[in-house]
Amino acid sequence: MSVEPEPVTLTIDGKEVTVPTGTLVIRAAEQLGIEIPRFCDHPFLDPVGACRQCYVEIEGQRKLFTACTTEVAAGMVVHTQNTSELAHEGQVANLEFLLINHPLDCPICDRGGECPLQDQTMAFGPGESRYIEPKRVYRKPIPLSPLVLLDRERCVLCARCTRFCDQISGDRFIEMFARGAGQQVAIAAGEDFRSPFSGNTIQICPVGALTASTYRFVARPFDVHVADGICGHCSAGCNVRVDVRRGEVVRVLARDNAEVNDAWICDKGRFAFRAADGPGRVTTPLIRERGLEPASFDEVLGRVAEWSRGARVAFLTGGRLADEDAFALSKLARVAFGTNDLDHRRAFHGGLAEELEAASALRVTYRDVERAGAILVVGLDAEQEVPILHLRIRKAARRGARVFVVHSRETRLSDVAEHLLCRPGQEGAVLERLIEGGAAGSDEERVARALRTAEGAVVLAGSLLAEHPLATDVALRLSRRLGAGFALVPRRAGDRGALRAGVHPALLPGGRRLAVASERAEVEAVWGELRSSEPGRNGREILEACARREIDVLFLVGVDPLRDVPDAALARRALENVPVKVVQSLELGELEPYADAFLPAAALHEREGHLTTWEGRSQRTRPVRAPAGLSRPDWEIFAGLAEAVGAPLGFGSVEELREEMEALLAPREVSERPTAWVGAGVPQWLDEVTLFTYPLLVDEGRLSEGASELKAALEEPAFVEVHPEDAERLHLADGGWARVRTGAGEATLPVRVSSRVAQGSVFVPFNQPGLEANRLLSGRFTAAATLEAVPGGGEGARGGEGIAGPEAKT
Amino acid sequence: MSEPVRILTGRWREPDTVWIDRYLETGGYEGLRRALAMSPQEVIEVVKASGLRGRGGAGFPTGVKWSFVPQDTGKPTYLVVNFDESEPGTFNNRELVERDPHQFLEGAIIAAYAVQSHTAFIYCRGEFLWPGRILERVVAEAYDRGFLGRDILGSGYDLEVVIHRGAGAYICGEETALLSSLEGYRGQPRLRPPFPAVEGLYASPTLINNVETLSNVPHILVNGPEWFRGFGPEKSPGTKLFSVSGKVERPGNYEAPMGTPARVVIEEMAGGVLGGKRLKAWTPGGSSTPFLTAEHLDVGLDFESIQAAGSLLGTGAIMVCDETDCMVEVTRRLLQFYAHESCGKCTPCREGTWWVVRVLGRIEAGAGRPEDLPLLDDQCTNMLFRGFCALVDGAVSPMSSSLAYFRDEYEAHVREHRCPVTGRGPGLVAEQGAREEAPAATTVPSWADLAEELG
Repeated sequence: MSVEPEPVTLTIDGKEVTVPTGTLVIRAAEQLGIEIPRFCDHPFLDPVGACRQCYVEIEGQRKLFTACTTEVAAGMVVHTQNTSELAHEGQVANLEFLLINHPLDCPICDRGGECPLQDQTMAFGPGESRYIEPKRVYRKPIPLSPLVLLDRERCVLCARCTRFCDQISGDRFIEMFARGAGQQVAIAAGEDFRSPFSGNTIQICPVGALTASTYRFVARPFDVHVADGICGHCSAGCNVRVDVRRGEVVRVLARDNAEVNDAWICDKGRFAFRAADGPGRVTTPLIRERGLEPASFDEVLGRVAEWSRGARVAFLTGGRLADEDAFALSKLARVAFGTNDLDHRRAFHGGLAEELEAASALRVTYRDVERAGAILVVGLDAEQEVPILHLRIRKAARRGARVFVVHSRETRLSDVAEHLLCRPGQEGAVLERLIEGGAAGSDEERVARALRTAEGAVVLAGSLLAEHPLATDVALRLSRRLGAGFALVPRRAGDRGALRAGVHPALLPGGRRLAVASERAEVEAVWGELRSSEPGRNGREILEACARREIDVLFLVGVDPLRDVPDAALARRALENVPVKVVQSLELGELEPYADAFLPAAALHEREGHLTTWEGRSQRTRPVRAPAGLSRPDWEIFAGLAEAVGAPLGFGSVEELREEMEALLAPREVSERPTAWVGAGVPQWLDEVTLFTYPLLVDEGRLSEGASELKAALEEPAFVEVHPEDAERLHLADGGWARVRTGAGEATLPVRVSSRVAQGSVFVPFNQPGLEANRLLSGRFTAAATLEAVPGGGEGARGGEGIAGPEAKT
Repeated sequence: MSEPVRILTGRWREPDTVWIDRYLETGGYEGLRRALAMSPQEVIEVVKASGLRGRGGAGFPTGVKWSFVPQDTGKPTYLVVNFDESEPGTFNNRELVERDPHQFLEGAIIAAYAVQSHTAFIYCRGEFLWPGRILERVVAEAYDRGFLGRDILGSGYDLEVVIHRGAGAYICGEETALLSSLEGYRGQPRLRPPFPAVEGLYASPTLINNVETLSNVPHILVNGPEWFRGFGPEKSPGTKLFSVSGKVERPGNYEAPMGTPARVVIEEMAGGVLGGKRLKAWTPGGSSTPFLTAEHLDVGLDFESIQAAGSLLGTGAIMVCDETDCMVEVTRRLLQFYAHESCGKCTPCREGTWWVVRVLGRIEAGAGRPEDLPLLDDQCTNMLFRGFCALVDGAVSPMSSSLAYFRDEYEAHVREHRCPVTGRGPGLVAEQGAREEAPAATTVPSWADLAEELG
């Protein structure tokens, strides 16, 4: 049982403050609004006491104390620089020390104008230096990776960066080398700073020692516009600040939010910010005449309305819609078009778990994860899918949580978690055994006991669980058995909001079942009577219907089925057979030959809105610039379309829209019931090996377009990962080449032999350079596969593109 | 001349005392036998009663330190022997290990038994190649004869000993830096609390003792605490091994009861100042203790008396400077040591030592400015007690004391742009300065270059 620490009352600069036992003096002072200068101190890192800047005087003590390492005590009387000459002099002297070897290159330093060293020198430091000797010099800068540059002359050796890597990300690429005045941050020979969290070290550097290659010499703090946004790259919901210079996004920074991302964001969130400014961006409505030709919004919406009148209409969306857009779409489809053929999903969990997630919010939060005594992660590669959740799991582990991962591939939690590797699709069976307590003496028995006895357990289920139609609900059942929290963790930023809003063939807003009259009635009370109470087609069924010409108009909202759907052949057949394709997005991309109309959408940082985290937390994001060209927020386009078809949605402003959302999205209780077999198809894992795939963090996804530095640092070319025993059986060698065949296609890929992957399984990343893995898939993210060695195969390709491209066999 | 007392050095004049046979013939491991016949608590009480104080520099009562180690924590308890002797001028641990290594090893086994530790580490200074080899052999001998390993002397008590060699850093003599180094991390000091007694090596209760301290323990067990208290003053009982070096006729280690006047050690035992010159300055406990002068020669060498005289007993390393030594040069050389050995973790030590070395070098080279002396005074204030650990306090000691006692010498350097003691003119001094400065100037970048080459 966690016990609340006793409160302690102390005095700082004559003011009393009461804080919990164990609080550091520097934190207690902050509560009084007293700023004590500091460099090494960081509220999310362990105290280190290295920079010695935060001296305070404590009555009864003859030495000065560092406020960042001193815990409060009852009756302690502290004097900061405000009330103690000694503390003030100590701080001035320390700043003088810090500056003797610091170069005076502020005018050309990226940090100039927002530099803690500069600011605190001005606020607390000496006016001038008495140092007349030569300064320490180093070659400047040296790259630690294609993203992070190190200028050692500027470094004040506070060790925030190295401690971040040690304590937070666990990616210990950088470390202090040498000693004395020669001490410096460095990296092992031949290594790159290949951590997906490397950019955080730049942001917490209190000087300009670590700079971003994307921002070097680009802007000054006073010539950027900034706005508080929410990162749109995944469902983590990181609070960010977006900096725009002359209309162009030049930088993304993390904002502190202890409820969500602490002070961190991943490198994709930080460095993949150019997608909306790329050459592929289209900001004018287009209509197909002879070719795709520019037209006004009214004209295009009018024509789309005309095509749709009386037609069979379906909507597919991707994962980037804001909450408002998803809600407007849910209403548009049902009220204006009378269809339930709409879906946002790529993985079809179905079942009670999905309904719970649709109905409610914040059942499990980051805080719950952080404080959990045990965490079970199932079918989720948190580092690659929702990186900030990965950091929170690590934080929990540091606080003593036991972490277990059920997956087909060892994740980067391996140093803090125990993995139960299983073949893809068999997670459900492992979970069943955990529910039963596990066979005597088995790993599962031990894990089940640890989960059962832990104080506050949490089960986090990822999208790979959807490969088995029952597995997600089995995970839910396990959590119930353990009295644990349960969360389905979707990958994409818009997933949870779209589920909540009912961009779903069977669920209305708030997870209300379309087929259940009482639940439908609650929505009809606001929206009016719905034309159909029959659940519609899910994403896959929509594409199949398109291919069979059973749909007339297909709306593609922020989605590219050719890339996003785990069946490239089906996507192509659908696009070739559905008569009208309306694309609403930031760009046309590969859809250009298919689009009959194009509606330009505003980027996330160009509009007002909300995004919902995996927890169900809806967070506001603000525009940093106006929508590019004629582009509009998606919900406004939907509203315009509804007008055009003569069935207005009824909201003219985002406020009115949100009012309606709040009415329908208040958390609801969901009645318990046994899980039925839902979802599409039967898992196919019985063959030579089971191929499985999921997207890696840095890949060829649309939102990472233009992020060349990020890709240079972290993007891996496609590969196939094979267990050593399978490799031996199949005569595959690490570094050699294999032809991977599935029912859908084949590809020749470099082989990685690794016991990180479960025996009987092979992993290919979903969308890396050299392989669009959906060409190997038939609707699921797993497939039966055969592998054969290609002697010297790809040898020729290795020199050029690196990998032989996949050859579609359909 | 008083009759020399020989406790720690009792076997030094006999041949072959290094190895175990001779050690056993001369009463060795009798202390351990007696200790194992007692309860651990009784052993601690005996050492407490003896009044033995730690010889590593701080002078903390050894028995009390042992009693601080908690029992029944569910974690292993470790003993760490600090044999990282690196304090300039200090070489008594080294000779104790070279000449009578079983003596301290026996003390270590008794200490481990007292705190119920079953694993002991001997942290051996990296540069101590020969003492390290001796250690390896004597530990093997002790295992062979049943003084280490399982069921020692049939007592049921087990102890394993691991010898760990440092990598050449002065800071690793600081106990928390030593523990970091022992765990395989960078040798940098850690925050206290938690204190090592509670959370030391691998976050487990850990006792850390110096070689000389442990060398006293077998004698206390054999002869009893009252016998031990018969040497030296009330609050600093026992003898001390003084390392005398510098301008004396017979440099070396000399054992004398605590409280023996410095004059006796320097003039009688070490034969007086070299060449009959006049003594100018001396350190009582290594370079980290403030200089004393000829005026202080009658001060007794014990913790209290030396502190009353304005310095510290430290490691008992007496370095003697005579009238021909330039105190600016001596101070600069010592500060250069601290600048080289600063671990780099905290600002006042890392930057402060870097700065004052340059200022002192400039004064020495005849390029001092009148404002440099108040600047140095200021830096003493700004460094003393401001660092993460005591290394920077040690660095301030020679500087602040030489500025106090020999200010006229500094002022003469600044005024005359030459050394008033050696008479070296600006040209000579500059040349000398350049040569001497070279290591300081290149030492630091050479580390950088090394790292550069690495990455």
